[in-house]
Amino acid sequence: MSPLVLVVLLSSLGLGTAMTFASSHWLLAWMGLEINTLAILPLMAQQNHPRAMEATTKYFLIQATAAAMILFASTTNAWASGQWDITYPSHPVTATITMAALAMKIGLAPTHFWLPEVLQGVSLTTGLILSTWQKLAPFALILQVANYTPPYMLTALALCSTLVGGWGGLNQTQLRKILAYSSIAHLGWMILVAQMAPQLTLIALITYIVMTTAAFLTLNNMDATKTATLASSWTKSPTLTAMACLVLLSLGGLPPLTGFLPKWLILQEVTNQGFIPTATVMALSALLSLYFYLRLTYAMSLTLFPHTFNSVTPWRMTAKRPTLLLSTTIIMTTCLLPLTPSALTLLI
Amino acid sequence: MVYFAFMLLVGLVLGLVGVACNPAPYFAAFGLVVAAGMGCAVLAVSGAPFLALVLFLIYLGGMLVVFAYSSALAADPFPEGWTEVTVFEQLAFYLLGVVAAGLYFGKHWYTLFVGMVDSCSKFFTIRADMGGVVAMYGSGGFMLVFCAWVLLLTLFVVLELVRGLSRGPLRAV
Repeated sequence: MSPLVLVVLLSSLGLGTAMTFASSHWLLAWMGLEINTLAILPLMAQQNHPRAMEATTKYFLIQATAAAMILFASTTNAWASGQWDITYPSHPVTATITMAALAMKIGLAPTHFWLPEVLQGVSLTTGLILSTWQKLAPFALILQVANYTPPYMLTALALCSTLVGGWGGLNQTQLRKILAYSSIAHLGWMILVAQMAPQLTLIALITYIVMTTAAFLTLNNMDATKTATLASSWTKSPTLTAMACLVLLSLGGLPPLTGFLPKWLILQEVTNQGFIPTATVMALSALLSLYFYLRLTYAMSLTLFPHTFNSVTPWRMTAKRPTLLLSTTIIMTTCLLPLTPSALTLLI
Repeated sequence: MVYFAFMLLVGLVLGLVGVACNPAPYFAAFGLVVAAGMGCAVLAVSGAPFLALVLFLIYLGGMLVVFAYSSALAADPFPEGWTEVTVFEQLAFYLLGVVAAGLYFGKHWYTLFVGMVDSCSKFFTIRADMGGVVAMYGSGGFMLVFCAWVLLLTLFVVLELVRGLSRGPLRAV
């Protein structure tokens, strides 16, 4: 792809998200979402093979449907109440349709099926953009309309997402699909507290973005898209392999790592509000997710799969890929937990 | 006039059913033409002739012609019409659904009909749809530049997706 085209597309990606962030009018927010969708399409179709094309088509269809639903809901809202303000969806039907559309856009559980398929078809770096940057604009809208949506809907979406995210990832061997299911599970945690404590949603979103960036970049550095590739990753870069285990466990939410931070705070908030069964189910569903992260860790650090080992340890050259972002995000993924009070002070 | 609007609405529903029951793209395009034409007529009857004209020109004149052209290119020796069993099943299902909905709402169904947007009646000299256009250009203002950018970006993305001889999107598949 020529650099000029890339510049236009990437700056449009930025423009779309910025527009959705800045707008108080539904039409402009919708326009920002559409810019986001359109600008990512050529990036997804960069590799000219059937999988990428299929993924691009699926992504386009899903996002276009969701955007049309948002437009429908906001038009209905304007029809019923005569105003286009995002923060005031006067009718519950409108708020519900909007939330359903936004859930479809980010891939929450009953409408999550496109996410693993799409991520599986694109490269790891494009997948990184899809699962981090592309979630920002819909989340800006979710945080604004969450107050008006029925609380049962949010809880149902959250429980569904964490359970499906955990169960779906169980028998996957493809790393991008596992990351997609991990994304679904994390989004479930975020959406659970979107109404009770939006600040916690923000904290969870930020930590998820940091952690998943680390995971995607690690896998990209290893050129790994399958679990079997992970088993021989120690020959290339032992340090990165050791850190990758910690990154995955952080995604799973184990205590001394950053991933524990959002789960801890969210569980505390949900318990304080008196939703004990919900908190229990959420905590247990985190175990499902933890299982597949643990399995990846196991494949990476403890075993070699019983196949013929016909490669020698490669000579370690200077890394060709830039690793600044990788090392920064890995440090943040593993060491941010002691900064919890600061995060709380900043965001709450 | 109400009877006329009623006939147009029936035509609209029939056109939509014709598309929704999954015939071959040739016939589905025809269903879309019917639905779009009837929709424009409903708009015009409801008091928004300018909107109807814009919709008719852009949707039928621009988009649907291209769609009909590309579906005609996808040569299908045995296109499935509405009389094929699989299509007819769905056709019957949807029509029965419409009738059932009509029976369920009983005699109150027509209260659901959107009333006429007839703002010419009193002291207003601007019709509702023209007023809407004026409001969009007036208070929309600078944001329409972004709107134009979205359209340009769409063109750009389409060109990028189908560029070159070897990089056509369907050539990979």
